[in-house]
Amino acid sequence: MAGVEEMESQTDDKENSSEKIVKTKEKNSNQDSEKLMKLPLSRIKSIMKSDPDVTLASQEAVITIAKATELFIWELSKDAVHSTLQSKRKTLQRKDLDCILDTRDCYLFLEGTLD
Amino acid sequence: MSTENKDEDELSIPRAALNKMIKELIPNIRVANDARELILNCCTEFIHLVSSEANEICNKQSKKTISPEHIIAALDHLGFGNYKEDAEAVLEETKAVAAKKRRGSSRLENLGIPEEELLRQQQELFAKAKQEQALLEQQQWLQTQQALQQQQLQLPQQPDSNEDDYS
Repeated sequence: MAGVEEMESQTDDKENSSEKIVKTKEKNSNQDSEKLMKLPLSRIKSIMKSDPDVTLASQEAVITIAKATELFIWELSKDAVHSTLQSKRKTLQRKDLDCILDTRDCYLFLEGTLD
Repeated sequence: MSTENKDEDELSIPRAALNKMIKELIPNIRVANDARELILNCCTEFIHLVSSEANEICNKQSKKTISPEHIIAALDHLGFGNYKEDAEAVLEETKAVAAKKRRGSSRLENLGIPEEELLRQQQELFAKAKQEQALLEQQQWLQTQQALQQQQLQLPQQPDSNEDDYS
């Protein structure tokens, strides 16, 4: 629970006492998924459901997609940073993301997103 | 929450979560705001893409609910097969944690009392507690009444002290 305490010390003092209690409680109940998940499952589920064709998805399916999304972010960022460093910059910019789209077939679906 | 005000089309993963992840991944690189925005949009597209594909796979199998296996097959089809291992690992961890939880709570069941019976007992206890509370309140009311009566009886015997009170 050390990680929980570290996070709590960063919250505002005025909200500290009540937030501590709420955060601890929430963390205890979501502890298992929070330890594993960096993205909120409810939001991911909402995004999935916004597609009218998509029917029901099990909780485990949402967890699987959540993890895949984390990995996607990781890969995207990693690839983009290569471009940043090659250009001898310290700030990752949109053009770095533009650059890497051609580098992997799996990024083809993002073509429209960049407009 | 604010998601209720957002159009479904504007849904994306929370910026704070993304920022935290990026910071962990590439702590020494700054990321432009519009680049962050773009990554967010890419994630949303990714989720749509995978859900869509998984949905098709699910339908082909004549199943009604998308299962993790459908998601993993979708990732494979879409060229994200390298995510399979980690995705499956997380799933296993989640199952293990859930199983642990069940074992923990089954201690109750080991008493030999099924949930329905426990519920019934709980209702009984509530009813009992209510009765006792009512009795207690009744007694207190009686005591208060008695005390009041005694006060009223005492009043006429001490007229002097009453006058003192008013002076």
